[in-house]
Amino acid sequence: MRKLTQVLVLGVAAGIAALGLAACGGGGDNGGGGSEGGTATVLMGTAPDYLDPQEEYTTQGAEATWISYTPLVTYKHENAPGGNTVIPGLATALPQISQDGKTYTETLRKNLVFSDGTPIKASDVACTFERMIKVNWGGKSFFTDNVEGATDFDEGKSDHISGVTADDNTGQITIKLVKPYGAFTNVLAFPEMGVVPCGTPEHTLTTDLPPSSGPYMLTDIVPNKSFSVVKNPKWASNNVPDIPLGHLDKIDVKIESNTQTEAQQVLNNQADNFDAGDTVPPSLVQQVRSQASDRFAAVTIPSTFYFFMNTTIPPFNNELARQAVNVAIDRPALQRLASGFLTPECFFLPEGVTGHPDSPCPYGAADGNGDLDKAKQMVQQSGTAGQSITVWGEQRAPRTQYVEYYADLLNKLGYKATPKLISDTTYFPTIGNAKTMPQTGFADWIQDFPNPVDFYLLLTTSSIQPVNNENFGNVSDPTIDSTVKKLEPTPTADLDSVADQWTTLDEYTAKKAYVVVYGSEAVPKFFSDRIDFDSAQVHPTYLNDWSTWQLK
Amino acid sequence: MAVDPTAPSPGVPVALEPEAPLGVGEIQGEGGVGPYKLALRRLRRNKTALAFGAMFLVIVIMCLCAPLYAEHIAHTTPSANHITDKITVRGEERDVVSPEGVPTGPTWTGKFFFGADTNGRDVAVRLLYGGRNSLEIGFVATAITVILATIVALISGYYRGFVDGALSRFMDLIWAFPVVILGVALGTALALGGLDFGLFTVNGNSLLVPALIIGVVYVPYMSKPLRGQVLGLREKEFVEASRAQGAGNLRIMFREILPNVASSIIVFIPLMIANAILLEAALSYLGAGVQPPNPSWGTMIGDGIRLIPSAMHLTLIPGGMLVLAVLGINVFGDGVRDALDPRAEVRIEH
Repeated sequence: MRKLTQVLVLGVAAGIAALGLAACGGGGDNGGGGSEGGTATVLMGTAPDYLDPQEEYTTQGAEATWISYTPLVTYKHENAPGGNTVIPGLATALPQISQDGKTYTETLRKNLVFSDGTPIKASDVACTFERMIKVNWGGKSFFTDNVEGATDFDEGKSDHISGVTADDNTGQITIKLVKPYGAFTNVLAFPEMGVVPCGTPEHTLTTDLPPSSGPYMLTDIVPNKSFSVVKNPKWASNNVPDIPLGHLDKIDVKIESNTQTEAQQVLNNQADNFDAGDTVPPSLVQQVRSQASDRFAAVTIPSTFYFFMNTTIPPFNNELARQAVNVAIDRPALQRLASGFLTPECFFLPEGVTGHPDSPCPYGAADGNGDLDKAKQMVQQSGTAGQSITVWGEQRAPRTQYVEYYADLLNKLGYKATPKLISDTTYFPTIGNAKTMPQTGFADWIQDFPNPVDFYLLLTTSSIQPVNNENFGNVSDPTIDSTVKKLEPTPTADLDSVADQWTTLDEYTAKKAYVVVYGSEAVPKFFSDRIDFDSAQVHPTYLNDWSTWQLK
Repeated sequence: MAVDPTAPSPGVPVALEPEAPLGVGEIQGEGGVGPYKLALRRLRRNKTALAFGAMFLVIVIMCLCAPLYAEHIAHTTPSANHITDKITVRGEERDVVSPEGVPTGPTWTGKFFFGADTNGRDVAVRLLYGGRNSLEIGFVATAITVILATIVALISGYYRGFVDGALSRFMDLIWAFPVVILGVALGTALALGGLDFGLFTVNGNSLLVPALIIGVVYVPYMSKPLRGQVLGLREKEFVEASRAQGAGNLRIMFREILPNVASSIIVFIPLMIANAILLEAALSYLGAGVQPPNPSWGTMIGDGIRLIPSAMHLTLIPGGMLVLAVLGINVFGDGVRDALDPRAEVRIEH
């Protein structure tokens, strides 16, 4: 009997130990309080633009690909601010940068394999860069503008990128830049740099994707309808620290274009997640906040929502007129139009990005309702009152409402403003065309990577282009140009050393009133009762990090 | 009224059976009364049609009074935003728009009588101004349709042959497109660039743009049945007599044939107004009709649709107004048709 008791005790102890080990899940895990395995359902209001790892360029696409294809370097799988930190991905360490800032050297980890068991080689990294250019990724200029020979390769003048060399024996990859570009480490961390094997077709892949190099794999893709994300069985053997192994076995993603239905299903626990890239319908915000308070939060992401003002044509070539608009703006009103999913801000660099000033706003508090009377006087003094203004905007809620508010504000200031709303698919190419010469309108910027350079490329003279212009206000200021030129080469890892200079520049920009910044967007973190809310991370750039989710 | 169940696409034109030309006795009507006077008598006896006509008239008058209501009762304009304002209703202070973005509902007082929209604009004021725009577009579009369709029908039916073939195929081309899709395509393109006629231009957000689009897309729906009537009329003896007397083509078309299709045109007018208002609402709902900041019932429904669960008034009120206006003009139109041609077999043809 005593022996039997001992056996039982040992058996129970062994069982508990086994369960404990299973729950730990392996190295590099976040180790939340939930369970391992299981399936979750994500509802997405907008389908990813692409699931091809080298071509996607939306948050919906990035949510899927950045956990399926790992670049040489990547970001910590954490909420902000930790999520802004670059960490080694498939490389052994962060890149070694030469003294002149023009040569980046990386070494691939040993014994890495794709999800099909094929070894990952240094040459695969070079092939990935080339494929990214060949499939014409929307952000390829980050690479082609900076890497030696990348433009020639893009234009078909060479078979390979001369500035990229890869040695399969040593695993070393060397990238030569045409000029020092401090944010290049961030460029290497784009999900589009997620490694795929050489020989992957150099055209858009929709259903038959290359083998995975991350914790998950994309399967069962029905374009614009659904896809699944399943665990990569080979990932654990790659032993990549700081990148989670993943907890859920499978994530089913369904496209549900009606955000009302989408939110309702998550509220009723019929689906597990409301995609962070979608907007909770205003009609349900109150209900969601009250009924699902323990599984809903609005998470502010580094982004700048603003109205651009064309500094080269009347009336906003007049600094006093621009200042008047900044004085009059009622940011809490815009916050209400966003159903609360907007944090009032007045500086161009949002909170969470190096250089964001903590000083008071130059033209009234960010959460103030604006001083209309003072602004009217300023407009009168500027001599611009009565001028006609066309306010450009997108036909998409709540952006349409932002523009209608803004046009009404300009009318109250004494202008003759008329909104011009066009389809959101053609909006930015239209206002970015020099022939359009927009006077003012809606603009936003959500960070590509956590570096102030990513925001200030919108305000430099060199970024003014005849087509696809992103400096919509044609801002051309020698102080901004020279400061950006001076700070741009600072490597990502050393950003803190120049934070004060970025802050000074951002305060200067706010005083010159080149744009009317009104806030940073907040995204919904909204789950069903089944998901462990605390373990789920919302990455500041790629939003929902599915590899951190656990069932309760 | 017999409805053809095989109708392939929306639209409403009415195809009338070719009328017999008005003879000398008929022109004088029964007991020496003219046909239009007779029709008026018949219409007066149709109390239902008159009641709905009166309802439509009341809506038109209310909409015409929009500026008075806005200035003296609501003390605002249709595009003035009051997002962070507060209002006191029966001693209780309310946000015009809550921090979550939900606008206040009807207050049943002078300010925000029908509540506010997401931008804190007075729905009652926008409803009346929106009605003005919807009705204005309806009337202008109908005028365009009637003028163009009549000209096309007269030329096509009178000349026949190549001219008829070319015009009819062109009308078929327009007819081949579903009205809403054609309207959206034209509306989206013109809303951006406007219209340039050389001598004058029409701005992209002018009300003339949707009016022109609606007016043009409905031309075949009216010209086809009219052309059929003209084809029949041109063979009648009174036309031959006129030609024998030396009348030219234009004179025959406009002095002999046109008066004989006039009653059909009159029947079409109220029905075309109703359809134009409906199409304007559909186009505006889809963002291809009336452009902001101008309100219309369609844009108001479109703006409110995403708030149905929490602010149903934003869709119900303009939707209800649209139904009443279209119902009013449609029933009145039916009465006009019955009065003008009680024997006509009218069918809805798409």
